[in-house]
Amino acid sequence: MSAAPRSREVVLDIDRLTIGFGGLVALANVSFDVYEGEIASLIGPNGAGKTTAFNAITGFLSVSGDSIRYRGKRLNGLRPNQIADLGVVRTFQKTSVFAANTVTDNIMIGLHRHAGARLWEILLARPRVRDEESRLRAQAGEILEMMGLSAHAEELGGALPYGEQRLLEVAVALAAKPTLLLLDEPVSGMNPSETARFMAMLGRIRAGGITILLVEHDMRMVMGVSDRVIVLNQGAIIAEGAPEEIQRNPEVIRAYLGHGADKRRASKREAGRA
Amino acid sequence: MNRWATGLWVGFLFSIPLWMTDQYYLHILIVAGIFIIAAMSLNLLLGYTGQLSLGHVAFFGIGGYTSALVSLGFDLELTDSYTFVFPAQPVWIAFLAGIVVAGFFGWLIGKISFKVRGAYFVIVTISFAEVVRLVALNWIDLTEGPMALNNIPPFTLGVPGLWELTFWRKIPNYYLVLVTCILSYVVIARLVGSRLGRAMIALRENEPLAASVGVDVTRSLVLAAVVSAAIAGAAGGLYTHYIRIIDPDVFLFIYTVTMVIMVVTGGKGTLAGPIVGGLIFGILPEALREVASPEMQWVIYGVLMILIVYFLPDGIVPAVSSWWKERFDAPPKTGEERA
Repeated sequence: MSAAPRSREVVLDIDRLTIGFGGLVALANVSFDVYEGEIASLIGPNGAGKTTAFNAITGFLSVSGDSIRYRGKRLNGLRPNQIADLGVVRTFQKTSVFAANTVTDNIMIGLHRHAGARLWEILLARPRVRDEESRLRAQAGEILEMMGLSAHAEELGGALPYGEQRLLEVAVALAAKPTLLLLDEPVSGMNPSETARFMAMLGRIRAGGITILLVEHDMRMVMGVSDRVIVLNQGAIIAEGAPEEIQRNPEVIRAYLGHGADKRRASKREAGRA
Repeated sequence: MNRWATGLWVGFLFSIPLWMTDQYYLHILIVAGIFIIAAMSLNLLLGYTGQLSLGHVAFFGIGGYTSALVSLGFDLELTDSYTFVFPAQPVWIAFLAGIVVAGFFGWLIGKISFKVRGAYFVIVTISFAEVVRLVALNWIDLTEGPMALNNIPPFTLGVPGLWELTFWRKIPNYYLVLVTCILSYVVIARLVGSRLGRAMIALRENEPLAASVGVDVTRSLVLAAVVSAAIAGAAGGLYTHYIRIIDPDVFLFIYTVTMVIMVVTGGKGTLAGPIVGGLIFGILPEALREVASPEMQWVIYGVLMILIVYFLPDGIVPAVSSWWKERFDAPPKTGEERA
C-alpha cells in the first residue's frame, strides 16, 4: 500500500528505527520516507510513538546506528543544533517560546544560525556587526509579517494569547530557515478559524520550498493538508498513503478512527473477551 | 538609560576624587568597585545564561593569585636537580596573565559542565572553588599557604627602565578600578546585545527550543563562562595589587555570596543591576560601621536584603525601570529592559 512517491526525491529516510525505553518498545523497526516538497503527516493514537520519532529525528533522543538519514547524511548521534544546521528544525508539542523575550527577539534567536559576527568583532563593535543586526531585524520583521504577528512584535513571547504563541513557535522555527520542518501538534488548542488560518499558512510555507512532516490529532486538518499520511500504532507503521486511502483503510479505522457503530460493538466484544 | 544620563553618571564617577578628599571614603569606593566588577562578571553567567555559579570567587582568587605570583616571580622545585625559576614580571603583564589564567579555568568549568544545569552546575562550581582554596592553602611552595603572599607590588603601567607609572595612592587606584569597571561593562553590554548574548539568553529561557533552532548551547555556556571568569580574574588582580597581600581566605564562600546578593538585589540579567546592588551592599557595611554596633550592622544588612528580595523580587533595576515606564508614558525601550 505504499503511496506513489511521484518520482520525487527522498529527503528524510527512516530505515528500521527501533527505540526502547527499558522494557518498553516505543518504536519497532519503523521505516518511512519523506519526499521533497511534500506535506507528510504522522498520525496515530496517543502513545503510538509519534513524538518519540520526532525526538529521534531531531537529536533530542540519542539513537545509535544508521537508521535516520537526511539528504544522505546520517543524523544518528548528532546533537539538535547540528541537526538544525543540516536544515531539520522542529517545534514542540507543549507550547515552547522564549517567554521573557519580545516576539522580535524570539525570531532573532531563531535567526542565530544565519548570523556570523565573531566575538572580537562584537567586542570591538565593528560596523559589520551593526549591519548584520539590522539585516536580521529586517528579516525578523518579514517573518512576523508572513505569520501575521507584526502587531505583536514588541510584546513578550509569554504574554501572547495561546493561538499567537503557537504561531510564534512556528515563526521561530522558520527563522532557522529549515528545509525540513517538523511540527508537533501545531494546532492543538486552536479554535477552528485559527486552525483554518494555520492550514493556509502551511500551504504558504510549503510553497516556499520547505518540506513538512506533521504530527497532528486534528483529523480534518491532517486530511486537508497532507499529501501523504503515515499511521503509527503501538510503535509500528500500520498504513501509509494518500489521505483518502487512509480514511478507507479498515486497519486504521480500527486503530484510530474507530467511530463506526459496528466497530464500536466489535471492539466492545473484543474488550469483553480480554 | 539614554546617552545623556550615562554620560552624566560616568562624569560624576570621574569627578569623585576631585571633591571627596577623605581617603577612607575613596578606599571604600575602590573596594566596592572591585566587587562590582566581580558581580558584573557573575551576572553574565547567572543573569544571562541562567546558571548559578556559587564558586565564582574561585576565578577572582585565581586571577589574584596568578597576578601576584607573576609580579613577584616564583620558583618551583620540580625535581631534586631542577628548579623552575619564574622571574618577576611588570605588574600590567601579571594582571593580564591573571585574566588569561582565570579565563582558562572558566573554559574548563564550562567544558566540564556541558551537560550539567541547575543544582548540578551549582555543585560543580562550589566544589571547584573549594578545590582551588585547598590548593592555595596547601601548595606552600608556590602560594606560601596560610602565610599569605605579601609585599605584592602595586599596579604599574609602562616598561621598566623607560617610563613607569606606579599606582601607590588611592586616587590612581580609584581611576584604575573605574576604568576597568567601565571596560567590563562595555564588554558585557556588547556581548549580551549581540547574537552571542541572545544565544545565552535563549539557553536561560528555553534550552531545548534554543538547541532546536541551531544554537550550540554548550558553546554559549563555555563562552559566557570564559568571559565571566576572565572579568572576575581582572577584579581579583585589581584587588591583589591594591590590598597588596593575598591569602587563601580570598576564596571564602562569603565573597561569592556577597556577589550573588549584589546581582540578585540589583536585578539579575540587567546591565545596571550588579552596579546598583554592588553600590548598596558594597558601601552599606562601611556606612553602617559609623552608626551601628557590629551586631546591628549585620542585622540591618540582612533585613534590608530580605526587604529588597521580598518586595522587589526581580531586583531594584527592573522594578525602577518598569515604574519609570508606567509613570512617564512608555519611553522607547532600551536594550537593558529587553534583556
